[in-house]
Amino acid sequence: MNNIALSTLVIIETTHPLYSQIAAHHETRSADEALASFKTYDLVFDLSALRTKNKITLLKELAKTTKAEIITDLTLCWGEMVLKSCPQVTGAVSLLFFSPTNSVEFSTKSEKTKNQILDFLKSIEKNGVEHTELKLGFHYPRVISMIVNEAYFALEENLASAEAIDLAMKNGVNYPLGPVEWGQKIGTKYIVDLLTEYSEITEDPRYRLSRELKMTGKNI
Amino acid sequence: MDIKNVVVIGTGTMGQGIAQWFLQQKVAVEMVDSNYEFSLKSHAKIFENLDGLLAKGKLQASEVANFKQNIHVKKLEDINPEADLVIEAIIEDREIKKELFKKLDEICSERTIIASNTSSFPITEMAKDLSDQRKKKFLGLHFFNPATIMKLVEVISGLETDREMSHKLFIWFNQKGKVACECNDAPGFIVNRVARNFYGESLRAVETYDLEKIKEVDQVIREVGGFKMGPFELMDLIGIDVNLSVTESVYRSFFDEPRFKPHRLQKEMVDAKRFGRKSKKGFYLYE
Repeated sequence: MNNIALSTLVIIETTHPLYSQIAAHHETRSADEALASFKTYDLVFDLSALRTKNKITLLKELAKTTKAEIITDLTLCWGEMVLKSCPQVTGAVSLLFFSPTNSVEFSTKSEKTKNQILDFLKSIEKNGVEHTELKLGFHYPRVISMIVNEAYFALEENLASAEAIDLAMKNGVNYPLGPVEWGQKIGTKYIVDLLTEYSEITEDPRYRLSRELKMTGKNI
Repeated sequence: MDIKNVVVIGTGTMGQGIAQWFLQQKVAVEMVDSNYEFSLKSHAKIFENLDGLLAKGKLQASEVANFKQNIHVKKLEDINPEADLVIEAIIEDREIKKELFKKLDEICSERTIIASNTSSFPITEMAKDLSDQRKKKFLGLHFFNPATIMKLVEVISGLETDREMSHKLFIWFNQKGKVACECNDAPGFIVNRVARNFYGESLRAVETYDLEKIKEVDQVIREVGGFKMGPFELMDLIGIDVNLSVTESVYRSFFDEPRFKPHRLQKEMVDAKRFGRKSKKGFYLYE
C-alpha cells in the first residue's frame, strides 16, 4: 500500500504503458472522469500523455475543480512553459517513456513535493533521478528520441536492417538496447509526439521526423 | 571464404588491436606503418599483451609461441602481394588514405581484398581512384576500440563493392566470434551516425558550459537511460576534439543536415584546449 498523502488521485488513461502497474496501487481516473468529479483530494498525480497546449488546458481545468497540489507528467511538453502557466503544479515527472533501469526523471523546487514524488515512485517500484531546472524538457526523453529517430532515418534510407542497427549499437558502443527495439518499448507514437512538439516549439529543423518513424508511430 | 593472411597498415591503437585480433584467430599478420620504429613498438606491445594473456591463464604457452611466430613487421613495398586481406587503419585523412589505396592497388594481386577501417569517410569515395577490378574488392571494415574486446565490425559495401564478397566476409567474422553488421555506404555508417545525437542533443540540453548541468545530464542518461557512461563523460574519454571532428565530418557529408549540426560548446571546449581526459581538462577536470 502506498504511503504518500492519504487522499491522492492519479489521473491516467487505460492506454498508458504503466496503467496496470499504477492502478494496482492507487486510485485512478481518466482526465474526463477527474474533471467531472466532485471528490476532494490532497494531491493529484496527473499522468496524462498530452502535449503542451492540451496539458495546459487540462491543468487549468483541473485547477478549477481541486485545490490539491498537482504533480504532472511533462514528458511530451515544453516544461518551463507548463510550469509558468500553471502555478498549482508543484512538481513534474517523466514517467511515460520506458526506462531500462526502472528510473524516472523528476523536477521540483519543493522538498515536500520531492518526497511525495519519491514515495509515489517507490510505491510503483521505481527510483527517482532529479532534474533541477526544467527548461525545454526532460533530458532522457529528448536524447533517446533523437537516437531512435536517427535509427529510423537509417532504416528509411536502407542503410542497414533493424536487426543490424540494434546489434551495432549494442556491440559497438554498449547501448543497453538497440534503438529500434528501444523505440518499440517506449512506443514510437510517443517519440513522434515529443519530436513534433519540439519541432513546433523550437522551429529547429533538427527535430524533423523520419517518415518511417512517423508511419510506425501513427499505426499504434 | 577463408582468411589466412592479413596485412594491417597503420599500427596505432586501432591497427595494433586489429592485428592482435587477427593473430588470435590463427591468421598470419604483417604490420606496416609509415614510421617503421613505431611499428616495431606496436609489435612489441602485442607480444606484451600476449604474455599478459598467458600470465592470466587465458592463453596457453604453445598458443602464444605460435602467435608470436605468425606476426611480422614489414615495409609497405615488402608486404605479401598475395595477402587475402589488407586493412588500412592509418590517420583519418581523406587524401592520405586515397594515396595509400592507389599504392596498394598496384602492389597487391587482383585477388586481394582491400579494406578501410575509416570511421566516417564514404567507402565509394575512398575507392574512387582504384582500378575497376579493385573497386569490387574494396570495402569498409570498421572495428571498434579496443578491437580485441569490442565485438562489432561494420562491414560496409560501397557502390561498386562485390556484395557477395562482403557477405562472405560478414559470415567469416561472425564465425570467428565478432558481431558483424552489414551496412550500406553512408556517412558515419551505423554507429557513428546513430550515436551523433547522444552527444548533440545532450549538448543542447546544457546549452552553455555549466558543470552542475553537465553532471546532471550524465547522471540522468546513466541512471534513467541505462547507458554505461553519460555523454559528457564519454566525450571526455574519446576526446572532445575527436568527437567534434567526427560530427563535422558527418555534418558536411550530409550536406549540412541540421540533425548533425555541431554545437558551439564543442568548439568552445576545443578552442580552450579542453580536449578531455588526455589534456586533463574537458567537461570535467582530472587533476
